[in-house]
Amino acid sequence: MPQSEPILRMAGISKSFGATQALQDVDFSCFTGSIHAILGENGAGKSTLIKIMSGVLDPTAGELFVEGGLVNFQSPTQAAKDGVVCIFQELSLVPDLSVADNIFLDSPPKKWGLIDKKTQREQARVLLARIKCGDIDPRALVKDLSLSRRQMVEIAKALSKKPKVLILDEATSALSSQDVDTIYGLLGELKDEGVCCLFISHKMHEVERLCDTLSVFRNGKHIETFAKGAKSDDEIVKLMIGRTVDAQFPAKPPPKDYETRLSIRDLKWERQLKGVDLTLGRGEIVGLGGLDGQGQKELLLALFGVLRSVEGEVRVDDQIVHTGSPAEAKASPTNFALVPEDRKTEGLMLPMSIADNLMIASLDKISDGPVVSPSKEKEAVANGIKQLEIKVGSPHHAVSTLSGGNQQKVVIAKWLCTNPDIVLLNDPTRGIDVGTKQEIYKLIRALADEGKSILLYSTDYDELIGCCDRVAVMYDGKITVELKGDEISETSIVSAALNIGDTPAHQKPGAMQ
Amino acid sequence: MNFPTINISSEDKPILIASGFILVILLIGTGYTLATQGTMPLLTVNYLLQQLQSGAFLGIAAAGLMLVILHGHIDLSIPWTMTAAAMMATTVGGELALPTGLAVGVCIGLVNGIGVGYLRVPSMIFTLGLDSAMRGLMVAHTGGYAPADTATPFMRFLASGKFMGVPMSVFVWAFVSLVIVFLLKKTTFGKSIYATGNNEAAAYLSGIKTRRVILGAFVVSGVCAALAGVLLAGYSAKAYQGMGNAFLLPSIAAVVLGGTHILGGKGKYIGTLIGVVLLVLLNSVLSIMQMPEAGRQVIYGTVIITMLLVYGRGQKVTS
Repeated sequence: MPQSEPILRMAGISKSFGATQALQDVDFSCFTGSIHAILGENGAGKSTLIKIMSGVLDPTAGELFVEGGLVNFQSPTQAAKDGVVCIFQELSLVPDLSVADNIFLDSPPKKWGLIDKKTQREQARVLLARIKCGDIDPRALVKDLSLSRRQMVEIAKALSKKPKVLILDEATSALSSQDVDTIYGLLGELKDEGVCCLFISHKMHEVERLCDTLSVFRNGKHIETFAKGAKSDDEIVKLMIGRTVDAQFPAKPPPKDYETRLSIRDLKWERQLKGVDLTLGRGEIVGLGGLDGQGQKELLLALFGVLRSVEGEVRVDDQIVHTGSPAEAKASPTNFALVPEDRKTEGLMLPMSIADNLMIASLDKISDGPVVSPSKEKEAVANGIKQLEIKVGSPHHAVSTLSGGNQQKVVIAKWLCTNPDIVLLNDPTRGIDVGTKQEIYKLIRALADEGKSILLYSTDYDELIGCCDRVAVMYDGKITVELKGDEISETSIVSAALNIGDTPAHQKPGAMQ
Repeated sequence: MNFPTINISSEDKPILIASGFILVILLIGTGYTLATQGTMPLLTVNYLLQQLQSGAFLGIAAAGLMLVILHGHIDLSIPWTMTAAAMMATTVGGELALPTGLAVGVCIGLVNGIGVGYLRVPSMIFTLGLDSAMRGLMVAHTGGYAPADTATPFMRFLASGKFMGVPMSVFVWAFVSLVIVFLLKKTTFGKSIYATGNNEAAAYLSGIKTRRVILGAFVVSGVCAALAGVLLAGYSAKAYQGMGNAFLLPSIAAVVLGGTHILGGKGKYIGTLIGVVLLVLLNSVLSIMQMPEAGRQVIYGTVIITMLLVYGRGQKVTS
């Protein structure tokens, strides 16, 4: 590691969102002329870290130094002035503006106080040529470009700010392999020019090839920083997982063969699902693993009838079914339930009462024809609250007054009121406390014991290991590995998720490297 | 948040403010008449019943509109829905007059609902466009020949007839109000409206047929506007071009002054009732005070804006 003054240094940085501690007392330094990888599981705090560096978020506590001077960024523009520039995972381009306009969006070259379009175009051309994208016309509208080209424009935009610290947050995930090579070359050049590149990637081989320094984060803490080659892949994975003694899980039944209830064949949707094959048994809990954004969420939404023009075959009890909307999905014969990813925007009507939220998916069960029966409603609400032990003052209070864990219980209870056969859970324990997590694990197991089938997507590997009878790991829109019984372990899930097995694709279900 | 000592839910606050304002209007008006004439006509039963009668048209239109606004949508086709329903009712005449008028309302509501709910055109544009189209159709309708425009006796009875001293239109308004309250409070449709208005994504993911709910709300709005138009024609004894024009702003204002959130999801029907009474009284008191038309318009508009500013304080607009 270079011994000079770090270009960017964090001291005691913490960040919390409500009760969730995203970063905890992080000390971190990076140096000019290096390519520094930041590794960690989902939710390890990487994104929060770079958002604080680049002025998107304010830290709750701690200090940030750039070139030895204390800074307090209020906005990404301020951070860019001090040379800290970030290329975000979510594209930040305006689709209806031209490429050149986008590149110089926040500081266009000016003449007489007006934007100098000509100079802007010229400068854009130079930048694009540097990243070997001379074929992109600076006058073209961003919306007319492919995703991979857009990402290159995003990179040009970052370069236009003459960064001293360039942060790439999974910047290569949308790129074609040719562009990826260009970026590798560019990063090398920048390194020689003395720029510090912070590189966030889930692709281990990328990290191996590019970076000279690696830092591992876990649960919002900076675990260790070391030079490339100092540790083996296995050791790195171990560092990422850590030895967390987390929630306790209810006992699993011994592995057995389940009677198939749901079978999915060659399910395809847009670019996110590329042919998913999966079965789900009666009373079985199947976990969906893998990194964020490998198609797990889309798989659940496709089953639930939310996505349009899904191809492939879905059978329930050996009958081909077609779910065109959530209303159809929750009805017979499929009887699906979906606990969505974001309870605040997709799961709950926050200002409405707990009772209304509990009943909204099963209005048909508490009404005679179109008229709601108050007595049935009262009974059903009381049942729902009791079944999940939701702590409420009164069912007529707004659901927004509840804690996160209890809100999530309301979402789950809402679906249990519909008496579903197949329950799809999208990260149901995210952002809730350990105690409630345990209750939810118990509930999931109890539902399976009742004969319901559970498909659980979780970003928490412990949960997959502790809860599931079988784990299907997704990578790039497909299920690449299925693990059963004792095969389910941290190492096996993480390496399957990173796709660093012997062969990159298509492992046979159940096979291990 | 620093609430006053009495704990008032954010939903009831506008209703209380509006009720208070009604009292203020009555006091100011009475003070004025006492000072100038030495009488208190504003506090007589007759005057108040008269206000309710003229408020019925606005009240019925606003009742239907409320269902649309609860979705965060808007129905700007109210003026020409009223006019078209009234004109078609008088053209057909006879016993079929009222059903014809209501059928016009159903049709306009269906078109609006399909446009907004299924085709996803923003309601502000779609309903405004349909309003314009209806105006064109009505001009064409009266262009070639002079269709009958006299209200039928039944229409006149509904609008100006009296039962036990109370104008019939007040009974009609009360009936519509009961239906709307029943819909909102007691039916799955009502629960679905609030859910869809609050968070359409969550409602959809809960298996609510949100598009159908939006369609339903627009149909109710169309029918209510049509009923208001038919009654108005009965009141003025004939249907005429542009008869609904004066109702657009007041009907929206009544719903919103009554505390229904313009972005949807929140609101009680009692508030809409109070909003209507407030606007009708304000208008009437201003005319008793012989305020010139220009000044009346300015005060009317200013009151609406000011009250909304008062409501808006301390409430988050974005979710």
